[in-house]
Amino acid sequence: MSDKIEGVKKLFTSKSARVETNRGESYYNNLFERCQARLDELRAQEPVNRLDFSELLSEHGTDRRDFMKWVSATTAMLMLPPMFAPLVAEAAELMNRAPVIWLELQDCAGNSEALLRSDGPKIDEIVLDIISLEFHETLMAPSGHQAEKQLDGAMGHFNGKYLLFVEGSIPVGAGKEWCTIGASGENFLDHLTRVAEGAAAVVAVGSCATYGGIPAAAPNPTGAVGVMDVIKGKPVINIPACPANPANMVGVVLHYVLTGQVPELDSLLRPKFAFGYRIHDNCERRAHFDAGEYVESWGDEGAKNNFCLYKMGCKGPMTFNNCSIVRYNEGVNWPIGVGRGCIGCSEPDFWDKYAYERPMADAKLKAPTGGVEKSVDEFGLGLLTAAGIGIGIHAAASAIAGKKEDGGEA
Amino acid sequence: MTKQLIDQIEGEASIRFDMKENMVDFATIAFPHFRGMEAILEGKPALDALVVTPRVCGICGHAHLMASVRAMESAYADANEPVQLTAKADTIREVTLVLEMIQNHFKWIYLVIMPELAKLRPEKIALTPLKGAYAASLASKALASFAGQWPHSSYMLPGGVSCDPTHLERIKAQSLVDELISFFEKECAGTALDDFLAFDSCHDFNALESDIGEIERALTAAGMHKKGFAYDRFMVLGEHRFTNPAKVMQTRLLQADEKHVKTHSAYSPSEKTFAKNACYKDEFYECGPLSRAMASNVELIKSMHRRFKDSAYSRVMARIFETARLLDHARDMLGSLALNEDSLIPPKPITGISGCGVGVVEAPRGPLIHRVEIEEGIIKSYEIVTPTQWNIGSSVKENPTPAQLAMMGNVTMEEALFIFRTFDVCSVCTTH
Ligand code: SF4
Ligand code: SF4
Repeated sequence: MSDKIEGVKKLFTSKSARVETNRGESYYNNLFERCQARLDELRAQEPVNRLDFSELLSEHGTDRRDFMKWVSATTAMLMLPPMFAPLVAEAAELMNRAPVIWLELQDCAGNSEALLRSDGPKIDEIVLDIISLEFHETLMAPSGHQAEKQLDGAMGHFNGKYLLFVEGSIPVGAGKEWCTIGASGENFLDHLTRVAEGAAAVVAVGSCATYGGIPAAAPNPTGAVGVMDVIKGKPVINIPACPANPANMVGVVLHYVLTGQVPELDSLLRPKFAFGYRIHDNCERRAHFDAGEYVESWGDEGAKNNFCLYKMGCKGPMTFNNCSIVRYNEGVNWPIGVGRGCIGCSEPDFWDKYAYERPMADAKLKAPTGGVEKSVDEFGLGLLTAAGIGIGIHAAASAIAGKKEDGGEA
Repeated sequence: MTKQLIDQIEGEASIRFDMKENMVDFATIAFPHFRGMEAILEGKPALDALVVTPRVCGICGHAHLMASVRAMESAYADANEPVQLTAKADTIREVTLVLEMIQNHFKWIYLVIMPELAKLRPEKIALTPLKGAYAASLASKALASFAGQWPHSSYMLPGGVSCDPTHLERIKAQSLVDELISFFEKECAGTALDDFLAFDSCHDFNALESDIGEIERALTAAGMHKKGFAYDRFMVLGEHRFTNPAKVMQTRLLQADEKHVKTHSAYSPSEKTFAKNACYKDEFYECGPLSRAMASNVELIKSMHRRFKDSAYSRVMARIFETARLLDHARDMLGSLALNEDSLIPPKPITGISGCGVGVVEAPRGPLIHRVEIEEGIIKSYEIVTPTQWNIGSSVKENPTPAQLAMMGNVTMEEALFIFRTFDVCSVCTTH
């Protein structure tokens, strides 16, 4: 019993932002100088496309104030102190120096759809326009052979410098030879390996590219895997979720332009600025969780009063993502806002383990605080389905959490 | 034989052309990608389909969600446990579906049709893809007010919807739709929505000084009113407030029933394809906005059809006109939404349900069918038939599919590639 209680405590009290948001003055001063040097260097470079940020801003009728609002929000999102805002603004303007190649593999095109309608329609759209995705199967004008020529051109010209964004999983099992891409009929794996060769870093966008995603759900008919399973010896950045949040895609590019480096990553190679937060800790229904007020069945009184969705299968307590903060579709809403639980779409294998409506108590899972996969009973989470006990444990656990925090990673 | 690769759709397709004296003699179509969604669903708890099937497609995932939940509700009925829906739940589902169609259409107009038309008529078309993206973002924001996120929402459940919107959310959605309507009036149509909807002849388009006017004139200049004919028979299977199921032979409306829909392997002799052709009693039918307008007797489109039949012109203009109709419809539905009803009337837990169910909805491109067999809440089998399988199958020369037929005879390869796009292709749905 006491083990169980320990497990629950650990799971429900690991600190939300596992990222150091304040690293002290000298750290930031140092970083500031490095970023400044990087931006000077970029400014001296030829733009990779002709788009001019300030021109586009005025074309879109965006005034400086809107832009500065966006800048401070983005600076905060990247977990930088306000003194970096002018640099972030500069980085946005130098975005046209960052060559980006975008590949669509085994996917639903949902991430590029999400990106197309990115946050802050004006500014992020412009950012998207500017990074202009040197090569994006869905958005780009030429097609077929011409597109391949353009891809080869971009790869040659920006060798070693481009960021490669990948959407979709890679079939390496039975599906390896089934699915081909481009006029030459290359299979996905060969195609990805070839294009990744000259990339500065590979960014896996969405849960398919990160973990294999939905195509990898049992029985994984095509043998789908994620980018990090096949690309070795290259920095890989994962931006999981289904779809990935456009704010996080823009964040990664901006970070790269600003610092020339990949952002700090967690054990699953996710940028901490976006995935250092636990849904549960920033959830608007958290007060109801703490009060032991749960939706007990869809459409009941609890549902009408926006109670906690834990018993309806909400995976917020073990899911790391910032959608409880940035939300979706320009901050309009998010799944928990419409009364369905979080499905844990930024965590590995959620299709098979958790999916819809199964309380975590019925799933095998790995605590965000690390360790091997355990059944929920071993964690003692099952206890939480009895609301009364849940509150007791939770209350006790919160008190302890206030004092000490040591939640590391797996 | 020439192979042409089609991208900038959702996924990829390839067409092989047989040319005769520079004109298309025959074409086969292949969809080379595959994920195995139906196999993934087998053996999973039934409600998992509500999170899995929207992921079939990044552009019409909502239609998949609705088809899936309708299939489940139909399985409840099959098990003698009929599910009830309040008018409120029904309206919210319908509003979000319509908004998804609207975003799709805007994207198609600005990111597909205009650039493709520009290839045929370079001097005529100014490209403004961000307009399409902006309009689509307004529609998906309004959608997300009820559905939580877009793409890939899972907020519908057997018996209703999980959201319980207040007046505040309704007003938010209404103002987004109003903003979108003014955007449409100012930036796309160049005239008020109501005036646009009152058009009764194609000549009315011609007078517009706007993107839509430009598109209409370019289509005519490119001769698209004389090309791209398919079978002149149309299929609508989804039951909605904006259209109704019907089989339309030229202009004759007949009854249609999903049970006559079967799929067959596609004909693709020189390339592997994962697509299957969808047929109604073994015959090919065209589906999508033109079909829906014919089935619901939209006067303007019927008059257009009298002049230009099922040409590429009619297909494009019918989708543009549907966008306007759906905007109007979304505004009406939001206005009439009764917030005091229940969002969801809980049915018996699905673990106690065994039965077969079918869910049919009209997705942006046409009828989308989900068929499910459930045994004690576990999926035994799942079948998905998508709109692109109707329009863009690949069959033999003697019995071509609508898209094949539309590309055959008296068109150049460039024209054929344009005609192909008038069907609004979705590869990821087709093969799923
Ligand atoms: S992660 Fe989700 S949105 Fe992205 S490709 Fe996969 S299914 Fe589509
Ligand atoms: S709804 Fe989910 S994330 Fe929110 S408090 Fe409840 S369990 Fe946590």
